[in-house]
Order: sequence, then C-alpha cells, then structure tokens
Amino acid sequence: MCIFNISITHLFRNIVVKSGLLEWKWPKLLPFVLFAIFLMTMCNSLLVSVFEYYWDPSSINTELDRKLFAGLEISAVYFLWTIIYFVFHYFERSTKSLQYEAAISEFELNNLKTQLNPHFIFNALNSIRALVDEDPKKSKQAITQLSNILRNSLILDKKKLISFEEELNTVKDYLELELVRYEERLNVDYDISPESMDFNIPPMMIQTLVENGIKHGVSQLTKGGSIGIKTHINNHTLVIQIRNSGQYLNGKSKSQVGLGIKNTIKRLDLIYSDQASFSIENENSDTVLTQIVIPETI
Amino acid sequence: MKTLIIDDERLARKELLSLLDSYPEIEIVGEAVNADEAFSKIQSLKPELIFLDIQMPEKTGFELLEMLDAAPKVIFTTAYDEFAIKAFEYNALDYLLKPINTDRLAETINKLLSKDDKKEKEEEKTPRKLSANDQVFVKDGDRCWFVKLADVRLFESDGNYIKVYFEKNKPMIHKSLNALDEKLDDRSFFRASRKHIINLGWVDTIEPWFNGGLMVQLKGGEKIEVSRRQAARFKDMMSL
Repeated sequence: MCIFNISITHLFRNIVVKSGLLEWKWPKLLPFVLFAIFLMTMCNSLLVSVFEYYWDPSSINTELDRKLFAGLEISAVYFLWTIIYFVFHYFERSTKSLQYEAAISEFELNNLKTQLNPHFIFNALNSIRALVDEDPKKSKQAITQLSNILRNSLILDKKKLISFEEELNTVKDYLELELVRYEERLNVDYDISPESMDFNIPPMMIQTLVENGIKHGVSQLTKGGSIGIKTHINNHTLVIQIRNSGQYLNGKSKSQVGLGIKNTIKRLDLIYSDQASFSIENENSDTVLTQIVIPETI
Repeated sequence: MKTLIIDDERLARKELLSLLDSYPEIEIVGEAVNADEAFSKIQSLKPELIFLDIQMPEKTGFELLEMLDAAPKVIFTTAYDEFAIKAFEYNALDYLLKPINTDRLAETINKLLSKDDKKEKEEEKTPRKLSANDQVFVKDGDRCWFVKLADVRLFESDGNYIKVYFEKNKPMIHKSLNALDEKLDDRSFFRASRKHIINLGWVDTIEPWFNGGLMVQLKGGEKIEVSRRQAARFKDMMSL
C-alpha cells in the first residue's frame, strides 16, 4: 500500500511546486491544504478498495466502520507528510530571503558611501574655472576644498563611522563650494553644540542630506534660499537638524521619495537598528526640516 | 549670429562669455538667468542661437523649449546630463559639457557657422510665420526631437493634442490645430480638413473622392480626405 502513498504525495508535490503554492500566505493556504488532504485520502481509500476487491472480491463486504478507521489512518499519514513538507520549505525560504536581504543591504551601503554627486563636482569645477580670472585667491581655496571632499569620499569607503567633527568639516567644504556656485542665492547657517564633537556618525550622512536640501530645495528657487545645520545633545543622544528652504514632496507622492532618503534610513537601521531615528517633514510653508537622532554608543 | 546665454549661475555665464570672446561671429545680445526670463528675451531679442543650461530653478531648459513655437539653434551646456541629451532622437543640436573644452567649443561653433553659410539668408526677413526651414522642439515622454518642419508630413488633431508625423514617429504636442494653422506658412502647409494639416511637399497621389472632395495620399502612406470646401483651394495651390 506504501506505493499509493508515495505516488499520491509525489503528484501533490508536483502540483504545489508548479502552481507556486509555496508563495501563498497561511490563511489562504490552509483551506486548500485541508481539502487536498481530504482528496488524497479519498483517492487512496478508493485505490486500496479497488486493489483489495481485485484480490479478494469478498472484501466488498467489509464493515463500514473498519473502512472508516482505515481512512482516518490514511489521512493522518497525509496530514503528517503535508506538515513536514510545508514547514521544511517555509524555513528554507525564510533563511534564503534573509541572506538575500543582507547581501543587498551590504551592497547598497557600499554603493551609498561612494556616492558623490558628479553633477556637483563638474559644476564646482566650472565655477572654479571662471573664478581663476576673477578672484585667483578664492579659486585656490576652492580647489583645496574640492580636493578635501574628493579625498574624504574616497577614504570613507573603508569606515563605518567617523567623528562628527570630520563629517562637519566635509560639509563645510561642500557648502563653501556651493556658495561659490550659487553666490547670493544661498545662505548658510551653523549652530553646533560643542558636545557634538564627542559623537561618531556614519560618514557622508549629513553631507548627503545637506546636498539633498540644496538640490531639491534651494537650487529650485529662482531667488535662492538658505540651509542651516543645528545640533544639540538630548538625553545622551545627538540630535542633528537640517533646515532648508523649499517644500518636501512638493506635489509628489510618498512613493517618489528619493534614493538619498531611503538609503539614509536603511543605513541607520543597519548600523544602529532601532536606536537611531530619522524624519523629514515640512516645518512650515517654506522650510523643510530633516532630523537624525544618533545614540552615543552602539 | 545673435546669441543669448541662458544659465542660472553667474560664474558659468561669465566663463562662457570669456570663451566666446574669441569668436567675433558670435554676437552676444543678452543673458538670462531662468526659463521665464529667457522666454521673454527670446521673444524680444530674437536670437538665432541660444546656449542653454538644462538644470535651472523652477523650469528646466527642456521646459523652456516646449514653451517656444519655433526654437532657435540650441547648444546645450550642462555639467552631467549628457544622458538627458542623448534622449534626442533627431540631432539638430549640439551639447557642451561644463567645464567646457575649448577645442570642442571651436568644433561646435565652426560646424554651426559653416551650416549657416550654406543656408544663404534666404528668408531672413519674412514675416514671422513658421516656414519649412524652422525647427520645432517635440517631447513625448522621455524622447525629444528637434524636427525641421519640412520633415513633418502631417499634423493630426487628437483631443487637446496634435500628433506630429515625421519619419516613423508620431509624438504628441499639447496645442490646438487652429492655433498651429495660424502660425504655419500656408505656402507649405495646407489645412486639409477639421482634423488635418498636411505638408504639400509630401503629397504623393491625389484622387477625386465623394461629394467633390479629394483623397490625398502622402509619401509616408497616410491617406487624408480633403473636404469639399477645401478641395477647390487645394486644386488652386497644387496647380501652376
């Protein structure tokens, strides 16, 4: 009789694999599986009866209760088989998807760290070229600042965290260069609490957000605008606030949120799990507030 | 050649001005810092050439081109958008990457000037109708074209849009056929019916049709019915 079990479960497995049942959620899957067990039991019983009748025609007279009992036995076998089959696949799939997600995160993290907007670099170089005639001293300074940023973005690949001070210096160099480019259309304002320097933060994180604020905010305004960076310590956490002129999600839907923001959230989650936080919102009708809260130690 | 420089950054404009200093043929008639200012300066100064930045506050360079009925010659200047420019299928334009390479600039301007000589200033001072030699900017989704009107065989109205037929493409522009009809030069373009304007240069065969109308087949294969009212005018124009 074992041959029936094996061939029926094999058939069932083929159907499951072909129809992609393994992707289904439990509530949808359960009634189907129960029905399948019932069906398999019926098939099996039928086959057994036919088989028995073939060998011994008198078996047709076997009492009904014996038959029912045999049926129960058979269904128990199928039930057990199904449970083992689905549980095994469920675990296998979930470990696979976890490994996959980890690999993707790692990849994205590396990708993000090296990301320095080429648009910015070439525009900066272009304004520096004009500056060489106009103000040679300032142009030399700008070249140094651009080198600092490039150097930082190259080294930072290797580091998970850097001191707040280092990051702030990169941001300052970056904003100096944007000032060369946007001139009176950009106002920059810092309000940094001295204790911030004791903190470590992920490299290029403030930089990316400041760059975003300029790209989507200030640079879109004909008359220009301002960007401000403010930090304070709150309950052993570092609170970094970036305010820029403009409107967040100006007429866009949430699904169009840029890669910069998505990656920042992901990076914070990967490094600090739920100990850090990120938010971005319109503070009022012409200012966007981006805030990151970073814990003292990991 | 009357030229307008459009860029939101003062230093970028200054740099371009100093580069163009060595080309006396290029006469800078003005500068604009955004698309709206550029639009009004193009109307008033009527430049033959514009240097156009793509990324500008509020409106991009592409949006500026979409606002214009006929685009002057355009040289895009951009820091890192060459992929955006490569979206152009129909290359009646050139682009320069900032910081601008002087050799590349020389090449671009020489090409432009030699083309200009050949064109002989034939209809320089005709009243401002769009002639077959004008180019229009057409954008459909991600693809952009500069189309010479001579290459457009048919305009077909479709709701609030007009389908522009040229080569194998028929992108849509947001305009009314009546407004377009007023601007087009009626020596080359003919209003065949309520829905169609055809380019007379592309007419292949003409057959008599019902009710005294005509059926015109264009060289692209499209068949357009000319209404009875227009048929008489059409015969007039097509005969010597």
